[in-house]
Amino acid sequence: MTCPFGPEPDPRHGGGGTAADTAFAVLLEDSAEELYEHAPCGYLSTLMDGTIAKINTTLLNWLGLAREDVVGRLRFDDLLTVGGRLYHETHFAPLLRMRGEVSGVALEIRRADGDRIPVLVSSTVKTGSTGEPLLIRTTVFDARERRAYEQELLRARKAAEEAARRAEADRARLQDALSVLQQSLLPASLPSIPGVETAVHYHTASPDRLGGDFYDVFPIGGDRYAFFLGDVCGKGPQAAAVTSLIRYTLRTAALHDPDPVAALTTLNAALFERYTDGDPRYCTLVFGILEPDPDDGRLTVRLASGGHPPALVLRGGSPRGGSLRGGSLRGGCPRDGSPRGGADFLHTPGGMLAGIVPEPVFTTATTTLEPGDCLLLYTDGLTEARTSKDRTALYGDDALRAFAAGQAGRSAAELIRALSALLDEFGEGLDDDTALLAIGVPARPSPAPSPAPATTNR
Amino acid sequence: MSTLDITVRDAATGPVLEISGELDFASAPRLRDLLATLELRAGQRLVLDLAGLAFCDSSGITALIAARNRAHAERAGIALAAVPAPTLRILAVIGLDQVIPVYPDSGAATAAVLTGPDGP
Repeated sequence: MTCPFGPEPDPRHGGGGTAADTAFAVLLEDSAEELYEHAPCGYLSTLMDGTIAKINTTLLNWLGLAREDVVGRLRFDDLLTVGGRLYHETHFAPLLRMRGEVSGVALEIRRADGDRIPVLVSSTVKTGSTGEPLLIRTTVFDARERRAYEQELLRARKAAEEAARRAEADRARLQDALSVLQQSLLPASLPSIPGVETAVHYHTASPDRLGGDFYDVFPIGGDRYAFFLGDVCGKGPQAAAVTSLIRYTLRTAALHDPDPVAALTTLNAALFERYTDGDPRYCTLVFGILEPDPDDGRLTVRLASGGHPPALVLRGGSPRGGSLRGGSLRGGCPRDGSPRGGADFLHTPGGMLAGIVPEPVFTTATTTLEPGDCLLLYTDGLTEARTSKDRTALYGDDALRAFAAGQAGRSAAELIRALSALLDEFGEGLDDDTALLAIGVPARPSPAPSPAPATTNR
Repeated sequence: MSTLDITVRDAATGPVLEISGELDFASAPRLRDLLATLELRAGQRLVLDLAGLAFCDSSGITALIAARNRAHAERAGIALAAVPAPTLRILAVIGLDQVIPVYPDSGAATAAVLTGPDGP
């Protein structure tokens, strides 16, 4: 047979007897016919209608068929599985007709014993001198190893996806558990108190949203309510565990004896007894009692501080320096003669943090909120927020008082909204938990409005 | 990365810890660890010299309280010396200046007569 693959290489090396020469001599024995029949891939040639005209031994062996059963009797697509046949008819053959070649298509061939072999099929159309199609040449590569590898990849991917699904389920379950715990630390909502408005904001620096700051407002019988706000040392779950102890101790203590100092003393005893080992746990906090007077709308606040930053009292009435538009002089002066409008600290000097010493000093203070007034409790996340890149510039007490003065006369909700916007402005400068609690007495409805003008502008 | 340097020296009254740099969430455990192994005897006074303290957050405050607890456990006294103004302000707010005696400098803290667990 003539060699369709061009002249065989001509050995140019002289001499003989070396191993290289022996190997070369063996190669010379390998004819093109031998290569065609026993190549490591299947070859077949078909007429344009698919009828198999020529097929090599390798492919016959894969199929488990005899040459005489195939040549002239079967078409290429007869060798394929049902699915493969369909794909061949709808995609492979049209593409081949259109482009003259198709490369590396994954199909499955069916063996005589019914087994399947995944293969990669490439075909080219041989054309005559005038360009008319003559026959189709096809190579078939055994893709069993490759398929196994792909399936292994697929299995690994499925396993990874399953692991990710499990991790996500675990995360969701932990998040559920966390949210239940979070609700045990902070009240879901504050009680509605007649004639009093409360508002809160809570920022936690911990990614698990378990904070070391806490607050609560709750009824203690009669028309009275207790409130507290504080800061546990540390952050995250360890701080949260102490927070839980503090919250329920204070609630119980307040029901037993609502006197602020008595409640703080009970809390101190509980903390001091619980955390006396090498890992000190303590908190600073303000605890107080609210006594609304339904007759005149005033709210008496009696509080005690355990080493906590002083509360701020915002007095409503006309803002300092503000004009008295419309001639309506609201506010005026309260009975104690202090100027209306603005904000001042309700100082509680000398109060000591709870949980460190057996008999701490707690400092009391009392104030009366008139309609339009507001009491603001906060944790030092607010005043210790960094206002520069380094740690030299902190927001500070003076800035807070000035900011609060600008909010005097606003409702508790408006005050908290303004402060939470301020916290947002700190951005990364706010790296600690921060709790805010505002207790306000809503301003009385304005006196009868001045007569409406006869005409209105549209 | 916060910087914290702690140098231990012995005075007639007991160990003096010269603490400089930043005492915060990241570095406070180093002071806590050092306190746990510090040799401290009954009747001595542990002095924390804070002259070089550039920053102290609530974790630092907790470490100071741990130092005080350690001293009490050994029936020793404790004192702070040369507390920078910002930290002194925090100590005053939380009332810790009533729990741990504060001296203007380590000389005063180590010279003061020992009369009780927390000094005079």
